[in-house]
Amino acid sequence: MNRRNFLKTGLGAAVAGALPMSLVELAWGAKDSERFTFAYISDSHITQIKGNRFVRNWDRGLIRAVAECNLLDPRPDFVIYGGDIAQLGKPEEIDHGLEIMSGLRDKVHYVMGEHDYYVDLGEYWRKRLGPDWYSFDHKGVHFIVLNSILTYPEWMHRKWDSGMARMKEMARLDNPNGSPFMVGEEQRKWLARDLAKVSHDTPIVVCSHSPLQKIYKGWNFWTEDAEQIHKLLAPFEKVTVIYGHVHQIQYNQLGNISFYAVMATAWPWPYPNSYAQADSRLPKLTVPMNRADPFFERDATGWQFIDVHTGRADVHYFLPSNSNRSVVFDERRGHPVDTRYQELAARIPPQNHY
Amino acid sequence: MSTMRTLAVVVALATAVPTAAEPPLGLPPVPIPADNPQTEAKVALGDRLFHDKRFSADGKVACSTCHDREKAFTDHKPVSQGFRNLRGTRNAPTVVNAAYMKTLFWDGREPDLEGQARQPFINPVEGGLPDHEPMLDVIRKDPDYVKAFKAVFGVEPGEITIDHVVKAIAAFERTILSGNSPFDRWRYGGEEEALTEAQKRGFEVFVGKGRCVSCHVIEQTQALFTDNKFHNIGVGFKKIRGREFEVAREFIRAKRRGADVDKTVLTKPEASELGRFAVTEDITQVGAFKTPTLRNVAVTFPYMHDGSLESLEDVVDFYNNGGRLREDDPVSPFLSGGIRPLDLSDQEKKDLVAFLEALTSPEYDRIAENR
Amino acid sequence: MKRSKSNRWRAGCVAALALGPVQADEFTQQDLERWNQEFMEVVREGDRLFHGGFPSKNTVSCDQCHPNASNTHPETYPKFQKQLGEVVPLWRMINWCIQNPLQSEPLAADDARMTALQAYIHWERRGVKLEPGKH
Ligand code: HEC
Ligand code: HEC
Ligand code: HEC
Ligand SMILES: [Fe+2]
Ligand SMILES: [Fe+2]
Repeated sequence: MNRRNFLKTGLGAAVAGALPMSLVELAWGAKDSERFTFAYISDSHITQIKGNRFVRNWDRGLIRAVAECNLLDPRPDFVIYGGDIAQLGKPEEIDHGLEIMSGLRDKVHYVMGEHDYYVDLGEYWRKRLGPDWYSFDHKGVHFIVLNSILTYPEWMHRKWDSGMARMKEMARLDNPNGSPFMVGEEQRKWLARDLAKVSHDTPIVVCSHSPLQKIYKGWNFWTEDAEQIHKLLAPFEKVTVIYGHVHQIQYNQLGNISFYAVMATAWPWPYPNSYAQADSRLPKLTVPMNRADPFFERDATGWQFIDVHTGRADVHYFLPSNSNRSVVFDERRGHPVDTRYQELAARIPPQNHY
Repeated sequence: MSTMRTLAVVVALATAVPTAAEPPLGLPPVPIPADNPQTEAKVALGDRLFHDKRFSADGKVACSTCHDREKAFTDHKPVSQGFRNLRGTRNAPTVVNAAYMKTLFWDGREPDLEGQARQPFINPVEGGLPDHEPMLDVIRKDPDYVKAFKAVFGVEPGEITIDHVVKAIAAFERTILSGNSPFDRWRYGGEEEALTEAQKRGFEVFVGKGRCVSCHVIEQTQALFTDNKFHNIGVGFKKIRGREFEVAREFIRAKRRGADVDKTVLTKPEASELGRFAVTEDITQVGAFKTPTLRNVAVTFPYMHDGSLESLEDVVDFYNNGGRLREDDPVSPFLSGGIRPLDLSDQEKKDLVAFLEALTSPEYDRIAENR
Repeated sequence: MKRSKSNRWRAGCVAALALGPVQADEFTQQDLERWNQEFMEVVREGDRLFHGGFPSKNTVSCDQCHPNASNTHPETYPKFQKQLGEVVPLWRMINWCIQNPLQSEPLAADDARMTALQAYIHWERRGVKLEPGKH
């Protein structure tokens, strides 16, 4: 069966919330060649307890995302893994995570997360998966993968007792002794060169681990050189940034750039505004995810199916134990909106975080 | 207060029509839809319809065939058998307290009792009728029914429709309520002695280490033992293991071509295992089934949507092994985040079974004794 | 702690009897500072337990899901928790998280570590108004 037959349901189906497995054809009629889908899985935090014992909860999250992703029909063109496949970057954890990922039917592009990186500065990860920043073209869209979890060299190369000591400092989200994420000069130079080859009407999708925005520094929902990256992306008509790390639904529009965060398969994070002692800047557009019942270990975790059309990305969140959500780019308003909950009156009690 | 409640229940049982206002101990008031108020005559009519075998292709199957009062409104078969002994794919859940369910059937494909009652007559492995006309014919020609429908709904024979029939049946079902079990008398009635020590320890397992209470809900003043939600707890997944994609795709394609969900899931064993997905087409709900109540569970064997577990001991082993009967069985990749190995001791397992046996209401005690 | 307070109270009474109404002040600025230090010491211990110091059987720690103890909402207790089937005080929910996400052994209500965890959780929530029962 060809894609067009499958994708006839129209926006109505997405609005209705329950995403049918015969997926959505958005009504804005791009040519078939310009429309495609990909899946996004992120933040599995596979944790070794000892030997071949791993934390079951995190294993099951990734196993379930892979199994569900394999049900997509039609198949996505590829999958992106958004970083933090491991908790402490150990080879055992990366290997175990990749073994679970090998159950996917599709090709995967990987993004580096801080939990994959700080024990050996990404050495084992790169050995298994190749470079941690790169770009590729797909059906008229230019994809860029960044390593956005680098930090100041002074912090990175301090006299650490061990790589693991450094890893553990960075692994703690609310650590006052941490150090802010950044893309860094070397990569920004590469990015400028890479973008120089791309015409300004080519849609761009950037995949990073950290937000490429400044939301809350205390938890490193942050990228120190975000503005410089925005500047490099400014000449392009349609730019989408998709990031992991925050383990929650976020979306935003800054100038020409649409931002979407993806869910973790491991556990959800509270929104920074629920920390009473500090100010944060959660994008105003964002309708928060529902607060989790920790009993259902998959609640407020999930994975995404992303539909790219006319150069814009719509993000459909698959949320086990919860209602699926769709955040789509609204041409008229010029920013992403939730198809069901965007209006204040449409929100439901669990979306109230305090 | 609690003795007054108990008295009210005894009185209610004696007249066989518990009123909606005074539910049995441990249960909230029954929700009654505005367009189908309870009356005694309607309930009596529903009772009769529920037991009438003429509404089936071979004249041998009534609702009560599969929902037998003597079996706590189940049939004690792994999967139900309809006309000409045709076998379906699913175990008959009890009708007791179905009045509290927010959706009906294992996959919740009907929103209320009225909607549910339309299906069995015309399901190809249950009543087996081609449509509702033959049964309406029987009703319109039966003088007693004609009188009763006139009295209850004010309709002439020619005006009787399936809507009237299912309203009467639903009204009857809203009187099939059971609370007042030893557990209720202990927890809500203040009777310290109503449970044995083993049952009390089993309660602690149920709300603690066993993690049962999050799905089989108990609250401060009432206990329905269901959250009315859908979970994949691992039952039956071996039947479609590794073929989920194909089974789901085939089901969706048939549905697009107009296949009826009720008929498909009860006649096709593989499609049956898709669970809630068959209704919502949401891939996070593959193999998810509705949490059943646990009231009277000791007398509603065998267990689960496919009747695959014979005893409460098996059920407890199934949960203790994290959603599988034997420790070396595979775990479903779609397993609910609420299911995981429990590490219960033999004593804790026994206590938990003892607790489940304390959920039997006095009406059905006899079935447990005869087992 | 309890004992020392009642001792102090008794001592105060004796002094008051001896000296008459002049001796009204029960404690000094230094007392306040010291008691606060005592409290913060327990907060620090709770902070340590919360951030990986608890002997977790599966290595998972509280801060992984509750950075800065957010989403612990101590100001809403006691309240109905569906994971426990009744209205419970804060320590019962802390134990629930110890037994479930951490897959570890629960603490007694008056265990010093339970006190420390509660001290830290409350400290991170200081200034938020009481709302018992809120969800
Ligand atoms: C052939 C046996 C059979 C007959 C006859 C039958 N049922 Fe059922 N009943 C079942 C089975 C099997 C199910 C579960 C089916 C499913 O979930 O897909 C069920 C489900 C139900 C439920 C849902 C309970 C719940 O918790 O969701 C109700 C209520 C019910 N039946 C009432 C009736 C009524 C009323 C009739 C007569 C109109 C009837 N049944 C006839 C076998 C039968
Ligand atoms: C994640 C939610 C969940 C938890 C936790 C849970 N159950 Fe269930 N229970 C269900 C669902 C859903 C079914 C039906 C599953 C099916 O048939 O596929 C069920 C079925 C049952 C049945 C069979 C009832 C019948 O009429 O067939 C029993 C008995 C039972 N559970 C007891 C328990 C006990 C005891 C525990 C704790 C050890 C427990 N459950 C924990 C959701 C849950
Ligand atoms: C795997 C993630 C996870 C871990 C680890 C975890 N919790 Fe929780 N906990 C949660 C979630 C999710 C909630 C529900 C939060 C909400 O209501 O928004 C919760 C709720 C709570 C609550 C009740 C909050 C409320 O609003 O009622 C307390 C108290 C709590 N946790 C304490 C702890 C402590 C102490 C630890 C460490 C021993 C811990 N948790 C470990 C996920 C976790
Ligand atoms: Fe992460
Ligand atoms: Fe991260």
